[in-house]
Amino acid sequence: MDWSEILRFSRGPLFHLSLIIFIAGMTYRLLRIVLLGWERDRTKRQGSKLWGTILNYLRGLIILPFIPWVRRTFRNNALTFIAGGFFHLSLFVVLAFGAAHILVWQSLCGISWKPLPTPIVDWLAAVGIISLLVLLINRLTHPVLKLLTKLPIWINWTVVFLPFITGYIMTHHLWFRYEVIFSLHMISVCLLLIWIPLGRISHFLFYFFSKTIHGAQAGKRAVTP
Amino acid sequence: MKTQSALNTYIKETGGWVASQLEACTRCGICADACHFYQALGNPEYAPVWKLEPLRRAYEQRFTVAGKLKLALGLEKKLTDSDLEHWSKIVYEACTVCDKCAFVCPMGIELGLLIHEVRTGLAASGVVPGDLAEATEKQKTLGSPLGVTDEMWRERIDWITDEWEEKIPVDKPGAETLVVFTSIELMKFPDNLAAIAKILNKASENWTTSSTGREVVNFGFFEADEELTKLFMYRVFKAAEDLGVKRIVISECGHAYEAFRWTAPNIMKVPKGIEIIHITELIHQLWKNGRIKIKEGAFDDGVITFHDSCKIQRLGGLIKQPREVLKVLAPKNFKEMTPNKEQAMCCGGGGGVISIKEAEANRYAVFEMKMEQMQDIKAEAVCMVCSNCRLQFVDSLAHFNSTIKVHSLAELVSKALV
Repeated sequence: MDWSEILRFSRGPLFHLSLIIFIAGMTYRLLRIVLLGWERDRTKRQGSKLWGTILNYLRGLIILPFIPWVRRTFRNNALTFIAGGFFHLSLFVVLAFGAAHILVWQSLCGISWKPLPTPIVDWLAAVGIISLLVLLINRLTHPVLKLLTKLPIWINWTVVFLPFITGYIMTHHLWFRYEVIFSLHMISVCLLLIWIPLGRISHFLFYFFSKTIHGAQAGKRAVTP
Repeated sequence: MKTQSALNTYIKETGGWVASQLEACTRCGICADACHFYQALGNPEYAPVWKLEPLRRAYEQRFTVAGKLKLALGLEKKLTDSDLEHWSKIVYEACTVCDKCAFVCPMGIELGLLIHEVRTGLAASGVVPGDLAEATEKQKTLGSPLGVTDEMWRERIDWITDEWEEKIPVDKPGAETLVVFTSIELMKFPDNLAAIAKILNKASENWTTSSTGREVVNFGFFEADEELTKLFMYRVFKAAEDLGVKRIVISECGHAYEAFRWTAPNIMKVPKGIEIIHITELIHQLWKNGRIKIKEGAFDDGVITFHDSCKIQRLGGLIKQPREVLKVLAPKNFKEMTPNKEQAMCCGGGGGVISIKEAEANRYAVFEMKMEQMQDIKAEAVCMVCSNCRLQFVDSLAHFNSTIKVHSLAELVSKALV
């Protein structure tokens, strides 16, 4: 098999096609939701919807992720909170501040920025992989998660895990020839991009809906979200 | 056939508001830890997210590519009548719609309000626990879920007037404030009704009750049957309009407050210029404005705590008002349970659960957790502003042979009036 040909294909046409599917799919889902119709809330407010929303984002994005133990639900879900938190941090840092990924961003949008030192990104990638494994074990053992987890959720986990593990192997030059592992990394990324509009990984978009709704609800009732 | 009614309802109810929240769920399962029923009984099916299954399946199979794919590949089945029966037990007997789950969901999904939507579909298809349906029917035909007829209501009001020697105006022309009580207060806690009358009379409030809009509890809202929810509120709104009052005071009922204050304007025509206010808010206002005076330290003998009701505190925002009053009544001995305020744990009897005989074991199991919270601070008494909670507390404390005393805020204030 000619792996350099596969690599050229997977980082070229396949990647671009996947990106198009990803963007088109997510746009479709976004429009679908927006066009389903929104009723106006006619109730008399007791507090500010805007302030409730701002507070909800502050708590959810900036305060609570760094002090998760203040939540009472932390006690029984420590693994979900810690591993989930580290996974998202890892994803963000590796995607936004890994040197190789910055090159991809540059080729796609024409802008670039300074990468974080490789050892930091590298360690965080490892943390991401470990977090995913922890979350997998948690999903296999927790009674509620066992009930909730059907095939699509396993696919979610797999298509997120593959780019992580192939990327890690590639940067450490382990076991595979460069073209082979790079191709596998690109193919798994394409799989992920194509899958996102179909599954629940799309929560990165709908997060802003539910978070705003809850913040506004709490705000108008004058309670802390 | 049943399923079709449920599906039609779900599809009708699914706008962007519902759909975007269903889409946001990551299946992390953290909501289970907010749910007192899951905590107490450990049944994974009691996880709030699982209670949304009928709504989610209806939505996905009708509106999303992924849902249609799952259906075509046989990964998921269409809803059936037996599914509805199954979820009816979970959603009515192991959920008080207290919405605590929404306050722990990392995505901020309004699970409680969505579970109300699930109930709407079940009510539309008639899959409602017998006891709940029976009480609802009584409210529809007799005007009260406890079967209080017009005649019984008048007799009872007269009896309370005589017994407590407090004037309770009925259909008083020119009154500014209409107070609507619950049948629970009327029949089981008449002292509370008398206490409220005493406070209002002391404050020289120009108030009245109505013989037509006499029931504030809304069993249509428990069932989530939208037509009945509207009918039961319409009776009160009509009475208020006929009397020409300026405000409707919702007595001690959480679900009723949620229905009148936050739901009515979005589902029906509400009379303009009539304010909806909860009795807690009114008592607080009267005290703040100096229209009533309360004896400081009147109940400062033993540790007293406050139970936050889901619909009045967490969802009603009346968190600081009762506390300010309690800190006057018991400046030294008022203590908070943990968790409290928005994060407080529900009593376990709300949302219609207490009216369902089959849910009794569930509700006692939940209450054990509440009792531990009270025992942790060595509470000798507990105060609350919802007669549904009060009923659950009184019944469950007796069930567990506890000596903790249960009071309503109005009752304490009325006894401390100077």
